[in-house]
Amino acid sequence: MFGPFVSLERRRARALADTAPGPLHDYLAVPFPSRNRDLAEVELVVLDLETTGLDPGRDRILSMGWVLIRGLRVVLASAQHHILRVDGPIPEAAAVLHEITDDRAARGAPLESILPQLLQTLAGRVMVAHHARLEQRFLDAACRRDLGGPFLAPTIDTLVLARRVLERRNHTLQSGDLRLFALGRRFGLPAYKAHDALYDALATAELFLALVADIAPRPPRPLKWFLSRR
Amino acid sequence: MHVELREIRDFLAGHPPFHLLPEAVLDQLPQWIEIRYLRRGDPFPPDGEQPRLFVVRKGAVALHDRSGRLREKLGEGDAAADQCAKPSMDSEIRGEAVEDTLLYEIPCARIHRLREMSEPFDRHFSADLRQRLKDALDLVQDAEGAFPYPWTTLRDLLHGPPVMVSTQESIRQAAKRMTDAGVSSVLVTEDGALAGIVTDSDLRRRCVAVGRSVEQPVREIMTPEPHTASPDATLMEALTLMTRLQVHHLPVASGSEVLGMFSTSDVARLQNAHPAYLIRDIARAREVDELVRACRRLPHLQAQLVAASASARQVGEVVSCITDALTDRLLVLAEARIGPPPVPYVWVVGGSQSRREQSVHSDQDNALILSDDYEPRAHGAYFEALAREVSDGLDACGFPYCPGDAMATNTQWRQPLHVWRGYFRRWIETPEPKALMLSCIFFDLRPIRGRFSLFETLQAEVLERSRHNSIFLAHMVANALTHRPPLGFFRSFVLIHDGKHDDTLDLKHRGTVPIVDMARVYALAHGLPQVSTVERLHAAGEAGALSREMAENLADAFEFISSVRLRHQAAQIRRGEPPDNYVPPAELSGLERRHLKDAFAVIQTIQETLARRYQVHSLS
Repeated sequence: MFGPFVSLERRRARALADTAPGPLHDYLAVPFPSRNRDLAEVELVVLDLETTGLDPGRDRILSMGWVLIRGLRVVLASAQHHILRVDGPIPEAAAVLHEITDDRAARGAPLESILPQLLQTLAGRVMVAHHARLEQRFLDAACRRDLGGPFLAPTIDTLVLARRVLERRNHTLQSGDLRLFALGRRFGLPAYKAHDALYDALATAELFLALVADIAPRPPRPLKWFLSRR
Repeated sequence: MHVELREIRDFLAGHPPFHLLPEAVLDQLPQWIEIRYLRRGDPFPPDGEQPRLFVVRKGAVALHDRSGRLREKLGEGDAAADQCAKPSMDSEIRGEAVEDTLLYEIPCARIHRLREMSEPFDRHFSADLRQRLKDALDLVQDAEGAFPYPWTTLRDLLHGPPVMVSTQESIRQAAKRMTDAGVSSVLVTEDGALAGIVTDSDLRRRCVAVGRSVEQPVREIMTPEPHTASPDATLMEALTLMTRLQVHHLPVASGSEVLGMFSTSDVARLQNAHPAYLIRDIARAREVDELVRACRRLPHLQAQLVAASASARQVGEVVSCITDALTDRLLVLAEARIGPPPVPYVWVVGGSQSRREQSVHSDQDNALILSDDYEPRAHGAYFEALAREVSDGLDACGFPYCPGDAMATNTQWRQPLHVWRGYFRRWIETPEPKALMLSCIFFDLRPIRGRFSLFETLQAEVLERSRHNSIFLAHMVANALTHRPPLGFFRSFVLIHDGKHDDTLDLKHRGTVPIVDMARVYALAHGLPQVSTVERLHAAGEAGALSREMAENLADAFEFISSVRLRHQAAQIRRGEPPDNYVPPAELSGLERRHLKDAFAVIQTIQETLARRYQVHSLS
């Protein structure tokens, strides 16, 4: 529908015009970082969502974790972890996987209060996620439902970068090779408790640094080399 | 912590220096951390605006000094703390990542704040090596808890508050209280002050046997104003006092405050574990088999001494003392069997026994210096038999034959004084490296039994010759430089020079031997009669052979390495394994590794100093 990335700025301008004043409007009002900026000069928000399933129309966000990368360094002071309030029962599989029970979710913060915080954090920055399509689609659904407009963000997908690196090394990829945990092990990174939004965000951030070092060991590292074309 | 980065907090809490921080401060740590990634070959430290402390989370970093020599290799959990310890950022250490590496960095400004909050943490960064070595020894001596030894104080032996009655109470009440508490004595107080003592035997002799009513006040049968001991009195002092007074109970009091009771039943519990009793049993033995049985207690005794936080020096003295007694007894038994010596002799020992640094599995090193009246034809068989009896006895008791044959059973080392003089003259005046290496132990001799003047004459002559002979000394220095300490540790390896790795740390040849050898050089160069390494070092410091501070540093390094070795051996003995000197780095705590590294650095520095002074270049 829209060409590759160049049109993202245009889409932002159009969405801004269509969105009523509020958190989403404020978010869209901040220009995206230039595609030619060097990665070391861009701030990135590494995000992970834990959800009750894969369908943004039906499933809910259980928790969010994020951490900033600035100057190609993960800044732990920026780390955030939010358990969200989910009304109604949580599917058992999701509850077991994420260790988030009905009880805990009922005590969580409402999405309406966290989403503006996240948008504020993302403003003027780049979103990084592992298999970013999931984050994109759930945030888009949430924005359309609660804030009256689409979610747009320049995005880097560590799964896509990892596939690029491994294919360049002529690896025959097996199923499961591109999972966050498996990649962390392959790149010699610490193993954290999986399926916890903050630790997954941290693991994604460290994987991203390792991938950047592999793709572009030395400057220049223009942002556009890393962005997903979506 | 507003977010749950417990995993990162716990990782740091498990590694020096962060393990020294209080829990609440550890919780704050993650928020000050930034994480960065270095590819293999990237320079270290990486660029940055401000000075920072780095911790390796994954991967490895090698550090070099200005001349490009490898100084250190950092693995998971290792911190490059120098960056914050030095006042400026331009550290002379430079390095690179030798593997893909994930680093934590914390601004030095934060580290400085932490140093203000925690004294132990602050001391870790102290550039003061002297203080760090002292801390290392405190660490060793704090270990594991008290076990009663001669230097243990009564304070550490008391179990529970004293059982007391007042003078007004009845004999029956006193007896009941003793029964309830399961003790054989009770202290009698008047107005809170100690007035007397009543024991089981008092109840028997002064009450039951004479038909006294048990309703009478206890005052009637007490022994008034008993002797007391200070809680700071040692076990040895208390035993001496009890023997002299012929009492079985000794109240322990500090001023007017009664702290407890020490009794002969306490002593009985300690008996078998006490080195004094082992020495007594050795001195009473009528035949070698009895000595062998007594010596079987020795390994456990050494392990217990270590568990009792005895210093390596104390352990060495106790074990050497026992071996001295054993050697002496073997000589007495041998003389009883083969008759009195036809000419005077002195039995001398060398090596660790002589230096009073022995541990249980040491080889035996000994020699016989005979009077110049010795006639091989007439007396040879006697002394050969004497040497054989003692040497076989030592071997049977757990002190194996010397692999280098430095024993009195070897004709070469069983000679009259004038021959020994000739040996030393040759060693000193026409030194040869190989001969010197073998004869090293003869520069540490100590007499055990016989005519001591034979030894003293020889020693005085040796010291007079050696101190003025710089060629000989240079040879001894070269010999002292053949064993070099490692650089430190990397993961589960010992890092030696040129980046090579060892799987285990040889605490003897890479730790204590270089120090022993250097102390010997100082003794010979300055005519010092001391034989023990620590005494030699202190005397060398006094004589100005090296600075007092360096002498103390080297002595502390020796004590620390020795104590690590002893604890390693104690653990082996407890597991029923034969003790050795090889410690796998995984057995060492992070703190021990760090202290060992300091100790290695001290050895290295003094080796280099000696090499320069005597122009010996075998270090390159």
